[in-house]
Amino acid sequence: MNNAPLRENESKRPRLPWFGIPALVPFLKPFRRPMTLMVMLCLAGGCLDICLPLFQRYAIDHFITGETLDTLPAFIALYLLFVTGSFVLNYGAFYHAFFMEMNVSLELRRAAFNHLQTLSFSFFNRNSVGYIHSRVMSDTERISSLVSWHVMEAVWTLIFMFGALAIMFSINWKLAAGVSLVLPVAALVIVVFQRALFHVNKKIRELNSRITGDFNEGITGARTIKTLVAAERICGDFMKDTREMKRTSILGMHFRSLFTATVSFASSLALAIVLWRGGLLTREGVMEIGTLSMFMSYAISMMEPFFWISSAVSELIAAQVNIERFSRLVNTASDVADTPEVTEKYGDAFRPKRENWEPLHGDVEFRDVSFRYPDGDETIFEHFSLKVPQGSSVALVGETGAGKSTLVNLVCRFFEPTAGQILIDGRDVRERSQLWLHSHIGYVLQTPYLFSGTVRENLLYGNPDATEEQIELAIKRVSADRVIARMGSGLDSQVGECGDLLSTGEKQLISFARAILADPRILVLDEATSSVDTVTEKMIQDAISEVTRGRTSFVIAHRLSTIRSADMILVMKDGRVIEHGTHAELMHARGYYHSLYTKQFELEAVKDLSV
Amino acid sequence: MMKTRETKQNELTKAGLVLIFLRGSKRWFALAAIFTSLVSLLELLNPQIIRFTVDSVLGGKEPDSGGLLAHLPGLMGGVEFIREHLWVSACAVLAVSAASLLCRYLFQLTNAVGAETLVETMRNSLFGHIQNLPFAWHMTHQTGDIIQRCTSDVDMVKRFLSEQLTGIFRIVILIVLSLCFMFGMNARLAALASIVIPLVVGSSVIFHRKIASKFRECDENEGKLSTIVQENLTGVRVIRAFGREQYEVAKFDAQNRYYVSLWMKLGRVLSLFWMTGDLIGALQVLLLLVCGSVFAIRGELTAGEFIAFLSYNGMLMFPIRHLGRMISELSKAGISLNRIREIMAAPEESDPPDALTPPLDGDIVFDHVSFGYEGCPELLHDISFKVPSGTVFGILGGTGSGKSTLMHLLCRLYDLKPGSGSISVGGVDITKIRRDHLRKGVGIVLQEPFLFSRTIAENIGIAVPGIGMDTVRAAARTACVEETVDRFKDGFDTTVGERGVTLSGGQKQRTAIARLLVGRSPVMIFDDSLSAVDAETDVKIRRALKHDFRGRTVILISHRIATLMETDRILVLSNGRIAETGTHDELMRRDGIYRRNYELQMKSPEDEDDAPTATVSAPRNAEVCRE
Ligand SMILES: Nc1ncnc2c1ncn2[C@@H]1O[C@H](COP(=O)(O)OP(=O)(O)O)[C@@H](O)[C@H]1O
Ligand SMILES: Nc1ncnc2c1ncn2[C@@H]1O[C@H](COP(=O)(O)OP(=O)(O)O)[C@@H](O)[C@H]1O
Ligand SMILES: [Mg+2]
Ligand SMILES: [Mg+2]
Repeated sequence: MNNAPLRENESKRPRLPWFGIPALVPFLKPFRRPMTLMVMLCLAGGCLDICLPLFQRYAIDHFITGETLDTLPAFIALYLLFVTGSFVLNYGAFYHAFFMEMNVSLELRRAAFNHLQTLSFSFFNRNSVGYIHSRVMSDTERISSLVSWHVMEAVWTLIFMFGALAIMFSINWKLAAGVSLVLPVAALVIVVFQRALFHVNKKIRELNSRITGDFNEGITGARTIKTLVAAERICGDFMKDTREMKRTSILGMHFRSLFTATVSFASSLALAIVLWRGGLLTREGVMEIGTLSMFMSYAISMMEPFFWISSAVSELIAAQVNIERFSRLVNTASDVADTPEVTEKYGDAFRPKRENWEPLHGDVEFRDVSFRYPDGDETIFEHFSLKVPQGSSVALVGETGAGKSTLVNLVCRFFEPTAGQILIDGRDVRERSQLWLHSHIGYVLQTPYLFSGTVRENLLYGNPDATEEQIELAIKRVSADRVIARMGSGLDSQVGECGDLLSTGEKQLISFARAILADPRILVLDEATSSVDTVTEKMIQDAISEVTRGRTSFVIAHRLSTIRSADMILVMKDGRVIEHGTHAELMHARGYYHSLYTKQFELEAVKDLSV
Repeated sequence: MMKTRETKQNELTKAGLVLIFLRGSKRWFALAAIFTSLVSLLELLNPQIIRFTVDSVLGGKEPDSGGLLAHLPGLMGGVEFIREHLWVSACAVLAVSAASLLCRYLFQLTNAVGAETLVETMRNSLFGHIQNLPFAWHMTHQTGDIIQRCTSDVDMVKRFLSEQLTGIFRIVILIVLSLCFMFGMNARLAALASIVIPLVVGSSVIFHRKIASKFRECDENEGKLSTIVQENLTGVRVIRAFGREQYEVAKFDAQNRYYVSLWMKLGRVLSLFWMTGDLIGALQVLLLLVCGSVFAIRGELTAGEFIAFLSYNGMLMFPIRHLGRMISELSKAGISLNRIREIMAAPEESDPPDALTPPLDGDIVFDHVSFGYEGCPELLHDISFKVPSGTVFGILGGTGSGKSTLMHLLCRLYDLKPGSGSISVGGVDITKIRRDHLRKGVGIVLQEPFLFSRTIAENIGIAVPGIGMDTVRAAARTACVEETVDRFKDGFDTTVGERGVTLSGGQKQRTAIARLLVGRSPVMIFDDSLSAVDAETDVKIRRALKHDFRGRTVILISHRIATLMETDRILVLSNGRIAETGTHDELMRRDGIYRRNYELQMKSPEDEDDAPTATVSAPRNAEVCRE
């Protein structure tokens, strides 16, 4: 279940018990105090707000009808007291709602972000950046505004409505009953329209994120769109989305305004009832004019809360999706996780206990390893065993998809074997923390990734304490010195978004230097120099053999010249290691490697024949 | 970056831009303005009915004979009749409400149609415009920033135009009529009531002006926070590989806290402001209650008038507070509009009207081409070479020597500056050729291919409308990716890219190759397109290409000698200059970069020692064959 992509089931209506509130409880617990305070203040403020029309009634019935101003000072004093009280209470409630909103969102974002740092690669393979990004940024925001503003609104509204009804009933129950007659009507209207609105709102949100996605794609893919001359097609598809958005939004507005109109009409109905029945009562002298006016102002203000309630309800329903997605994210178990004992001893990713860390020497052993990707159906390794002594260099060759990257990913424990063990320095990798291992590994990825910022910031990423000399040395080793010198400001040149201002080969060189600078015990190069020219590659190699002396290294490369000097070459095909040995041994064996290696030369012969 | 171009952009003013965007939605907004005026008028009617009922019907006071409203009781059957049948008043209230609600519904609907048409226009023009901007523009602007302009800023402008601008009619009508009625009933009381207007509006404007910068600061910091998350997600593999989770969390945490602290500061001020508004309103009501009572006792005001007065006052308060907000929103919307204008004002790529569409299967000639990126030293120096039509042309060169740049110039992703050489295809200078025609004819597989969030089949066929599945499959077969794709659960219907599964580097490259192939362009450029593909597959692809696309001009950038030696002619770039050019054999005879590459890749002392037979003899044989 945990392996399913997050986005699955999204089209279905989420079915969380109790509107998903229980899922939020752990995050809301620390906020019990401000939350209670907010509700209490809001209740108290609401109570005061209800009483304000009573002043109007008193002024009309007592002052105007009674033609006396005897109690005026007391009236003013009391009014001021009420107003000041309401000011203070409402300010407190507002402030706490703000506090709740911001701090709950802070905690939720933190929880989501921290959890993401512990998830394994398979999670990131399955879920796109944009998707996860909006889980961290927008879902949390929506949830926090639900538990702050909408809770407050609901509380205030309910207290106002019930308070107003109570007062009306205490004064004239018949008339009050007349007014409250419209309540069920309004409630029914809310239910009916919420249904319709729910779907429209969901659609609007979906379209909205699609449009943002379209923009993202249209901008990041600009170069491709231009060279393919696909702008017309892309724009056409985009316009379909915006047209759909327009249609849906208008539909949504139609429902919403129909809804407002209906509820407002119910409020006018209440007003009309008051005017009619209350007028009769006043005509007969049973009720005073001031009371009538008060009733009317309650009848009018009664409906305002209805809009609020309905917006709170629709928000609660809409936020279901967000709550569900968020809680699914923070509850996704990583398929590579440290056991509690390991965490106990070595610390976790955020609080490592470096004092307990053993040094890493670099013996790597595969013992009867089988592996299958969590969402793949092919077994990549079966009962695979291999010993790599400390300090040796291992080269991996084979077709794309043969499983080379998979093998090194297993060494790095980005994935764990489905059966068997991988041992580092004679102990199962799972006996030590991931951070311990990763701190000792330098991994140059197949697709280089640079953070936006300067070259220096990128180089320092793996080792923030590196000295200037170390940086210089690392750059020289990968022959990036010439390249960096060519850039305007040397080490302080900006690399652009994702390193876009550099050529692909340059990016590879810099990410290579970054790995060397981290001074790893195990160095992994996954097609690290595929876009670097051979001369530079050769220079790197010579330097690297110096660097890797005494370190274990894994090198994947398609240009066989890159790997000839490795201590051990593993030839892979369809998820199996079919041959291994040194270059000389493999050439002698005249197997697959031999044919791969010699093919380059035969090709030339073929070409000449065809000419 | 935007600033530098400012001078040229001045032709497009903000007002001009608004007019462009309002095309198509203007009439809807006009309708909405009419309806909202009607709503306001109708809304003001009800207090009058209530006052009449309370005063004249119930209170027995002579109805005043002012204006149109005086005829109303007559229409309803006279005061006496109404006193006996109070439901008439009630029905009148209901009827007026119904009419006003109908108008309100129509207002909201027309307004929504206007607003949505407006955003649609804005989005479409922005998107289309961005697609037509030169690539250099894209490289100098942050994706996140552009997206924010196209989403949040567009929303801001839309909200302002739809919520505030049509609202202004309503507000003005409400304020003016409320004041009229109030002054009509009792001028002194009305004057008292209206002293809050300048107070509320003025303080609101000043306040919003003051905090606008705070809002901006919050926005910017939200952007920063969002970028941290974005980079963390895109760079997750690097972060994990270096075990830098702790650093990332600390960075995120600091920004998260800072952002929240900014909002909290703002929150305190905002709560205070809102509450003060309420307080002022409540105090004004007190003033009215007290003075109103005094006036009523003196006989200057009836109870009914007083009630009506209070309800008009209630109607006054809302628009006044809103007016203050609107004025401040105006400046915010102005900022947003300006940010959009900066995009819209950037000049698009445009072709001269007499641009040509010649056949592109001729020779490609680079003639003394020099080029440097803006703000960087010159990169390509005086490059001249010719790619004869129908040949396969190889390019080899050091890292960052300008190979990709050279190809981008040919596709006109960047343009040459006047006087720094020229590039021509079939004898026609490429600056004279229509851009889309050129790019259709000169297809390129970019070094770092980009796939769209669509299915694989759609990705391959994206540039060719109405393409059949057979063609897609054939191209995929040629690019050696068909088999791989068929192994996916959904085959060619697998969604890839941002919203789908991630393909490996080699799979992406081959999909991009297939995408190029379906275009059947006469010139095909492969920018290191097989770097992530193993040598064997590389060969297979090239074989298939050769078979299917004989006679096309092909430019191959590669680091693999095995690939290059199959080409008809090879150009070696070094530091932005042509170091050597010639056929494989010619280059092998020289002691240059090419030969050195060859030796590094093909030969090594060990070979001769360990496996003398096949490895070393093969090339010798080859050389013999050639001679
Ligand atoms: N995250 C993944 N989930 C499922 N299958 C995968 C994943 N990554 C790779 N594979 C599959 O595993 C096989 C080996 O892939 P990989 O190790 O990346 O190959 P190589 O690095 O040799 O090109 C391929 O068939 C590939 O499709
Ligand atoms: N958009 C850009 N802005 C500034 N400099 C760039 C840009 N793109 C590439 N460069 C620089 O131009 C040089 C050549 O790049 P490129 O043509 O991609 O090299 P390669 O020969 O490896 O393909 C590199 O030094 C690179 O840093
Ligand atoms: Mg790989
Ligand atoms: Mg390049």
